[in-house]
Amino acid sequence: MSLFSFLGTLEIGLIFGLVAMGVYLTFRVLDFPDLTVDGSFTLGAAVAATLIVSGFNAYAATFAGCLAGAAAGVVTAWLNLRFNILHLLASILTMTALYTINLRVMGKPNLALISDPTVLTPFEGLGLANMYLKPIFVGVWVIAVGVLLALFLKTQYGLAMRAVGANKRMAQANGIVIKEKVYVGLALSNGLVALAGALFAQTNGFADSTMGIGTIVVGLAAVIVGETLLSSRKMMMIIFSCIIGSILYRIAVGFALNADFLGFNASDLNLITALLVGLALVLPHLRKEWKAKQAALKANGGDA
Amino acid sequence: MIRCEQLKVTFNAGLPTEKKALRGIDLEIPEGEFVTVIGSNGAGKSTLLNAVAGDIPVSGGRILFGDRDVTRVPATGRTREVARVFQDPLAGTCGSMTVEENMALAYGRGSRGNLTFALNDKLRKIFREQLSRLNLGLENRLDAEMGLLSGGQRQSVSLLMAALQPSSILLLDEHTAALDPKTAALIMDISAQIIAEKQLTVMMVTHSMRQALDFGSRTLMLHEGKIVFDLKGEDRSNYEVSDLLNLFAKARGSDEALDDDKLLLGS
Repeated sequence: MSLFSFLGTLEIGLIFGLVAMGVYLTFRVLDFPDLTVDGSFTLGAAVAATLIVSGFNAYAATFAGCLAGAAAGVVTAWLNLRFNILHLLASILTMTALYTINLRVMGKPNLALISDPTVLTPFEGLGLANMYLKPIFVGVWVIAVGVLLALFLKTQYGLAMRAVGANKRMAQANGIVIKEKVYVGLALSNGLVALAGALFAQTNGFADSTMGIGTIVVGLAAVIVGETLLSSRKMMMIIFSCIIGSILYRIAVGFALNADFLGFNASDLNLITALLVGLALVLPHLRKEWKAKQAALKANGGDA
Repeated sequence: MIRCEQLKVTFNAGLPTEKKALRGIDLEIPEGEFVTVIGSNGAGKSTLLNAVAGDIPVSGGRILFGDRDVTRVPATGRTREVARVFQDPLAGTCGSMTVEENMALAYGRGSRGNLTFALNDKLRKIFREQLSRLNLGLENRLDAEMGLLSGGQRQSVSLLMAALQPSSILLLDEHTAALDPKTAALIMDISAQIIAEKQLTVMMVTHSMRQALDFGSRTLMLHEGKIVFDLKGEDRSNYEVSDLLNLFAKARGSDEALDDDKLLLGS
């Protein structure tokens, strides 16, 4: 892997670190498997790109993309809480609807951001080559957001949100309003994913109606890889492991695609993703079994 | 303190599976009274507790805390007054969170969660002090995951958590039923201590006749959603477990033999 492609991988890994944090919030904290992210990633990109093309300030456009994502999360939460639609199904409905909405927002399937000013523009005059500037810029954003999220999860409010996912009955007995926490959690999660989409559109110069496909799997992969490699109970470390997991996942995909002896090409991405996620899920399980076996062998040996 | 007027709860109303769990309960529990509630399976004991806590909707009648009508107030809106300990030791705590995080949650009971940090050294000191009352060594395991503790330890912590915030009503739903006899005795001891210390109004559901007579100052027996007798004062102190069992048999109808093993447990 060349330095250039490594920096590109790093940049995308960092951006998907935001997706991983969003997925961590729903899957792990709230215990609410949410597939809305496939749509809200694109929505963030579509809203930000459309506003930028129409001449809005890039930061305002990014913020608007975030809000749109949060609104999508609220819709999923509403379908689930108000009408008792199964969480997975509610999120699939929102995701499907978003596909049309994203096309409507952009007015066409693909929107290029070649010459328009993006969030990066103010920093381009600093004399840093673009290939370094992008990952540094994205890294600062992602780490700042990660620190804020970790701090949030340590507040009374954040703790209450974690309790809702861990034990609803206990949460309720302690005066925690479950619905409110689910609404806020899903808005926050999809807001983060939409932010990732908005940043992705601006660093890569385009928004596309199909760019969000598979976002959920990539986010989950990052969360699981991070958990497997850095298991910790400290909130900062957990959020950090989401980011690291996302970067490592991208690097692994990059290697798999670049390694000639494997014979993969770029269109094999989804198979590689599925294999990697499968591996990350299976390995800890196998390790546990192996350890138990070793322990049993040792115990038997001691008796004999 | 707690007043129920013609309290009715019906599950699956209008369906073939309709079940009238409470059929008009009239009950007044003055402040500071410790009431034990007994009755066979399906008598409505837990339903009564859940209705008071606000977990299930009431189909008729009223519930009042003092002068405040709480009939339509959801469970979360009653947590300023009501603290609970469940039968299942796993139900009262979050297994995936640490001991101190669980206690911090209970410490925030009744107040809206805000954006200040949930834990600090002052709180940890309070938690350590409280945990040391249990003599289980838990004061040194504040950052242990709750799921690693035994059922008895978890139930002990649940009990402390229920008493962390000033509340006036404590609802105990067979909170020692899932524990071994020694731990159950320990938990009952601590419960009695906390109740006396904080002068709580208590409703305790139990399947043990012994417990029902030994603790508190009043005993209610429920049968098919009604209070069939209400024992207090002089009368109650003359009652033996065997008298209770006779009453039980009478309530169930003379032709029905006493076949519920659970009722005899601990007697």
